[in-house]
Amino acid sequence: MNWVTIIWSMAASACLTLAAIHLLVWYKKRTAWANLLFSMMAVATAALAYCELSMMRAQTPGQFATALRWLHVPSWVLIVSLAGFVRLYLHAGRMWLGWVTCGLRTLSLLLNFLVGQNLNYLEVTRLRHIPFFGESVSVAEGVSNPWMLVGQLSLLLLVIFVSDATLTVWRRGDRRRALVVGGSIVFFALAVTVQAVLVLWQIVHAPITASFFYLGIVAAMGYELSREALRAEQLSDDLSESKARVSLAADSAGAGLWSWDFKTGRIWVTEKARELYGFSPDENINSDKFLSTIHPHDRDRVSYSAQEAYREGTDFRSEYRIVLPDRSIRWIKLQAKAFSKPSGEQGRMMGVSLDISQLKQDNDERTQLRLELVHLARVMTMSELSTSLAHEINQPLGAILNNASAAQLIMSRIKDRPEAIGEILEDIINDSRRAGDIVRKIRGLVNKADVQFEPLPMNALIEDVVELFRNSININKVSLFLDLQPDLAQVRGDRVHLQQVLLNLITNALDAMKGSPGTLTIRSSMPASDIVRVSVSDSGPGIDEAKKGHVFEPFFTTKKDGLGMGLRICKSIIEEHGGRIWAESHPGAGATFRFSLKAWKGESE
Amino acid sequence: MSVGRATVYIVEDDPSFRKSMERLIQASGFKVVALEDADSFLKQRYIRRPGCLLLDVQLPGIDGLDLQQKLLEKGSRLPIIFMTGHGSIPMSVQAMKQGAVDFLPKPFEARDLRSAIIKALEGDIQERKKEIQENKIKSLVETLTPREKEVLRWIITGKLNKQIAFALGTTEKTIKVHRSRVMQKTKVSSVAELVRLAEKVNISPAA
Repeated sequence: MNWVTIIWSMAASACLTLAAIHLLVWYKKRTAWANLLFSMMAVATAALAYCELSMMRAQTPGQFATALRWLHVPSWVLIVSLAGFVRLYLHAGRMWLGWVTCGLRTLSLLLNFLVGQNLNYLEVTRLRHIPFFGESVSVAEGVSNPWMLVGQLSLLLLVIFVSDATLTVWRRGDRRRALVVGGSIVFFALAVTVQAVLVLWQIVHAPITASFFYLGIVAAMGYELSREALRAEQLSDDLSESKARVSLAADSAGAGLWSWDFKTGRIWVTEKARELYGFSPDENINSDKFLSTIHPHDRDRVSYSAQEAYREGTDFRSEYRIVLPDRSIRWIKLQAKAFSKPSGEQGRMMGVSLDISQLKQDNDERTQLRLELVHLARVMTMSELSTSLAHEINQPLGAILNNASAAQLIMSRIKDRPEAIGEILEDIINDSRRAGDIVRKIRGLVNKADVQFEPLPMNALIEDVVELFRNSININKVSLFLDLQPDLAQVRGDRVHLQQVLLNLITNALDAMKGSPGTLTIRSSMPASDIVRVSVSDSGPGIDEAKKGHVFEPFFTTKKDGLGMGLRICKSIIEEHGGRIWAESHPGAGATFRFSLKAWKGESE
Repeated sequence: MSVGRATVYIVEDDPSFRKSMERLIQASGFKVVALEDADSFLKQRYIRRPGCLLLDVQLPGIDGLDLQQKLLEKGSRLPIIFMTGHGSIPMSVQAMKQGAVDFLPKPFEARDLRSAIIKALEGDIQERKKEIQENKIKSLVETLTPREKEVLRWIITGKLNKQIAFALGTTEKTIKVHRSRVMQKTKVSSVAELVRLAEKVNISPAA
C-alpha cells in the first residue's frame, strides 16, 4: 500500500457511499431525480478515480492508453449527469447549451474509441516516472490526438452552461445555492479543463487527477442535498408543531379535524373528532367506517354532495346526522376541501366537523313553539271570530223570527185574513230558522282550543317567547328590559295559551314602537302570595283615553292590517285561566298591559 | 190568580230585538214591560210584582248574571229566563245554579219562548201561593202562647199526652187543654194536618 492508492481508494469509496445513500433516497421518492443524478455522478467519480489510479500505476504504454480510453466512459456519465443535475436541481441553464455540451461529449466518447489509442493520444510512445505524493507514478509521452479538442470544448461548454445557470440562480436571489452548487461546479470544472489542457497537450508532466476535482463537486452537491434533507426534517418538525397548534385551536372550539387519504382510504383524526364520531381511542379509521356513521336517511345526500365538491374542486359543506355506537343521534356540521396531488391523481380531503346537536335542538324547539303558537292563534281567532259573528248575526235573526212569529199570532186572530200573508210569515220563520241553524253549525265546527292546566314557571315562559322576537328586537333597535322576580311562584295555566298571550302583547308593544326605537319592558312580580302578575310595557305613543275602554273588544284595532282579535284572544285566555287583564296608558308615555294569574297551589285544584 | 195578570219583564239592550220581543210576547197574550238596561229595572219596584224576567246575558254596565245576583241579594223571587247570542256552557251553568228558570239561545222559537214564560209564571204563581199560605199559617202560629208553641213541637213528634206531660214536668190534664187550644187556634182537625202545617213554616219537632 502507498499513499496514492490509499487516497484514491478512499475517495472512490466515499463517492460510492454517497451514491448508495442518494440512490436509496431516489428509490423511496421516485420524483427525486436530482438524487438519482447525484448518485450516478458519485459512481462515475469513483470509476474515474479507479481509471486514474490504473494510469498512474501503468507498467506499459499500452496499459496506460487502455486505462485512459476507459476513463472517458465515467467522464461522459459525469458531464451528462452534471448538466442534468443543474437543469433539474437549479431549474436554470439554457437547454440548447446543455444539449450541445452533452452532444459534444458524446461525440468525443465516439472519437475516443474510433481515432488513435484514445481521445487524447494517437499513440502513447513511452512512460515517464515522476515523483508524486512521495512515490513514483507513470505519466505518458506520445503523439497527442488533435480530436482531443472536441472533448476539451465540451468541458468548456459545460463551464459556460453552468456559469450561465449560476448567474440565473444568483439573480433569482437564491445566492447561497448559486455559490455552493453553481460556484463549486464552475470552479472544479474549470480546474478539470485547465488540467486536461496542460497535461494532455504535454505542456506539463503530471498525472491526471480529475476525480479529485469531481470529488469537490460531489462534496458540494452532497452538502447541498443533505441540507435539503435537514430542511425536510425541520419542515416536518414545523409541520407537527403547526398540526398541534391547529388541533389545540380546533379542540378548544369543539371542532374535530380529519384528513382522508383517498388512495389508502385511511383517515387521520384528532382526538376530538374521534369523540364526535364515537370512535374508540385506538381504532383505525377508514372510509367505510367513516361513511357508516352517517344516518341512513342522510347518507345518499351527503355522499352525493361530497362527490360533487370533489369533482368541482369546491368546498364541501354539509349538515347531517350520525348514529353513535349507542344508537343515539348527533347532528354534525362539516366543512371540508379536497386537495388533489400535482399529478392530478386523487389526493386527500381535509375537513372540520362540529357537533351542532344542541343548536339543532334549540332550533327545533323554537320552530315547534312557533308552530304551536301559530296554530293556537288560528284556532283562537276562528273561535273568537265565530263567537262575535254568531252574536252579531243571531241578534237581528232573533228579531226577525220574533217579529214574524208575533205577526203570525196577530194574523191568527183576524178573520178573512189573506192566505198569502200567512204563507209569507211561515217562509220568513222557516228561513230564519235555517239561518240560525247555519250559524250554530259553524260554531260547532270551530272547536275551542283544549286547555290543560299545569304548574308553569312564568319567567321561563317569558324567556322562551322573548327568544322568538330576538331578530325583530335587534332589527328595530329596541332595548329589551327583563325585570323578572327570581323566586316567582308557579302559575296554574296552559303553557301554549299563556305563551300566546305573551306573544300578542309583545307583538303589540313592538308594533307600537315601529319607526321610533324604544324600550320593551317585561316584568314579573307577586303582588300577593297567591297571585303572579306580568306586565308588558312599551315606550310608544300610548292609547287614547277614548279608545282605552275598547281595546279588548273584538274587531277593535289601530293597525292598518289588524283584525282586532289579538287582545280579545288575550282576554279570553286570561279569563279562562281565572285571571284578569287590563291596560294602563299615559298618552305619550307608552302603554302597559298587565295580567294576573292564580299561583299554583298543588294538585287539589 | 192566573198567568194573564202577571207581567213579563224584558231587559235587553238591542233595541230592535227588544221591540220584537215586546211584540211577540204581547201577541202571545202577556203584559209586557221592556227595558234597555239593568239599572232601569232595579230603579223601579218591579221586583215585588208577580211576573217573570227575560234577561239578556250581555248587557252594558251591569250584565245579566250580575243583575241576577243583585236580585237574589234583595230577596226577589222573580223567576228569570236568560237569553244570549252566544251562550257558553260555563255561563249557562252559573245562571242555572243561581236559580234561572231557563236559558234560551238566540234566535229562539216563539213556541219555546211561550212555554218558558208559562213555566216561569206558573212557578211564580206557585211560589206566591205558597208564600201567601205560609204567611197565613205564620200569623195563626203567632196567636199561640210560648207554652202552646212548645206543646205544638211535642205534639208533632207523635207522642201521647202522658209522655209530653212527663217531659215538660206537668200533668196530663194540662197538656190535654193545651193540645185542644193549639188545634183550635191553628184551625186543624187532626195531628197529621198539624204536622204538615208545622213543616210549611219550618217548625221542627221537639227533641
